[in-house]
Amino acid sequence: MVRLITHNLLACHVKGCTSNNFPLQLQNVQIELRDADFNADFLKTFLPKLEWKALVESAKELGDTSLPIEQPEMLDDDFLKNLHHVLLEIHIEEGYMICPNCKHSYPISNGIPNMLLAEHEIG
Amino acid sequence: MAQELTTTLSKYLAVFAQAHQEFRVPELESVAQLYNFKIHLSDDLEERDPGRPYMIIWLESEDHARLLARRCILIKSIYEFYGRGTTYEELHLQNRAKRNLWERYIPETSFKFFVTAYNHKIPQHRQREVVESFSYMSFMGKIDMKNPDITLGCFEEYETGSGKTRERHEGDGNFIQVYFGRLIEEGTARPLVQLFDVKKRSYFGNTSMEAEISLLMANQTLACPGKLIYDPFMGTGSMAYPVAYFGAQVMGSDIDGRQMRGKQTTPGIFRAASQYGVASRIIDICTFDVTNNPWRRGELFDAIVTDPPYGVRAGAKRLGRKKELDADRLALYHEHRTNPRPHDSPYIPPTKPYELSDLAVDLVLLARYLLKPGGRLVFFLPTVTDQYEEVDIYTMLCDGMEVIANSLQDFGSWGRRLVTIRKVTSERYPPPDFSTRNAEVEDETQHVPAHRHFREKYFQGFKKAEVEADHIEDGR
Repeated sequence: MVRLITHNLLACHVKGCTSNNFPLQLQNVQIELRDADFNADFLKTFLPKLEWKALVESAKELGDTSLPIEQPEMLDDDFLKNLHHVLLEIHIEEGYMICPNCKHSYPISNGIPNMLLAEHEIG
Repeated sequence: MAQELTTTLSKYLAVFAQAHQEFRVPELESVAQLYNFKIHLSDDLEERDPGRPYMIIWLESEDHARLLARRCILIKSIYEFYGRGTTYEELHLQNRAKRNLWERYIPETSFKFFVTAYNHKIPQHRQREVVESFSYMSFMGKIDMKNPDITLGCFEEYETGSGKTRERHEGDGNFIQVYFGRLIEEGTARPLVQLFDVKKRSYFGNTSMEAEISLLMANQTLACPGKLIYDPFMGTGSMAYPVAYFGAQVMGSDIDGRQMRGKQTTPGIFRAASQYGVASRIIDICTFDVTNNPWRRGELFDAIVTDPPYGVRAGAKRLGRKKELDADRLALYHEHRTNPRPHDSPYIPPTKPYELSDLAVDLVLLARYLLKPGGRLVFFLPTVTDQYEEVDIYTMLCDGMEVIANSLQDFGSWGRRLVTIRKVTSERYPPPDFSTRNAEVEDETQHVPAHRHFREKYFQGFKKAEVEADHIEDGR
């Protein structure tokens, strides 16, 4: 159940892969929607930690276009509701996350991403 | 005590469970910080001795006492304090002086009155005498043992009687101290120990943490709604459930996905989380080695809570090999990786042991990177009782990280310490490099912490190598 909040925090960490290694591209994904607790304060404080463009694009890939392309200055209720849904309620159950740079493929199975690296990929 | 405190704060009597004594004061302080209220404890060491079940605490209001009763795992109940003494004469003197506190209950409040003792059983006839000795309070309301408006409690504290056989009621009345007060609230956090009982959990493993300790750890993290908390050695998720129960959202990772998944299709951690109604707060669990982690940036988490594997039931592992491959085998490996055989997937990379003292140092560095300013790192560190020194904890500290609590759970020859470290800096630090430190080339004069090579020491039964050598020489 990789959620987009998690997806937005994970970068490819293969040895030497340090640029253009984020966001990981989603491939062959199966998604499920599940409710989560809404907490406006959490969203507001977490917002500066997000890569906004990556979040909007990934949401779009999963068919959700509710977020504005530019991060708004006024955080109204509608915006926070949409952000909440995108960050916390879309779960990727199966599929792959592919590094745009080195093409390493991180599989997701039963909602758990496998981010382990092979022997030649660690520093 | 400072004059200003006695005027702005009032006294409350807390009755504690006699378990995990060293965790008592850190828990009180953490819960007070969580709800942002003042708490003062006696400066007299005997008064705040956690071996005693009764403790007077100073608080600003009854509401704060209620918050403590609802959140502290070690509080059994909390009373408004009326009086105490080494004799009933002393207690009554104090209680009469506190008339302003109980005067309003005189006219028509229904009440229950009980007398009890710690380490002793008071005979019925003396219980009646004690109750009658309070007759000067002249409460007019009816006595109601089932649903009283207020409950008044009188507690006699006796020396521990262990190791001696005593006649029934022997030593009756020879208490160290007697306390009296009005019940504010029964502790409602303590029953969570039953709720989170590992035996009743739908998914657990041989390394799962007992419920009471995991709840105490959750309190040290200051978990509450709106917080994001991370466990980098998640295992079967023992830390995640209580933290999520207190409202926080949790992320976890482990090098071994099998620990988090179990054998059924729905991963075990999600099944157990559903049992406690907190599945939606387990944000994600990921398989990766924390020494090769994919976190894109730091300052993400409000707390990091973990029970790192220390080698007795499960050893810590990190990616890599114990011995590097020779040239031929390395070539074979590369060949194999570029042309995998069809049934090879999923690929499982080799791992090597992760020395506990290295892990501890790395964990603090990682926490400094991943925690928000003011965030807390809460973890267990096993240690050898005879060899432990205060400085052990400081061997793993770095700039910007400060120890705020260090509580021992004693198992005799070894123990584990629940360490709470706070990030006191708002400076940004780079991620740690997790370089393998080489124990062999270390400076002889450097202090070696007792948790170094804990696994080996454990399986050798904590014998002291030097002592043994001396012994053999003497024999000759």
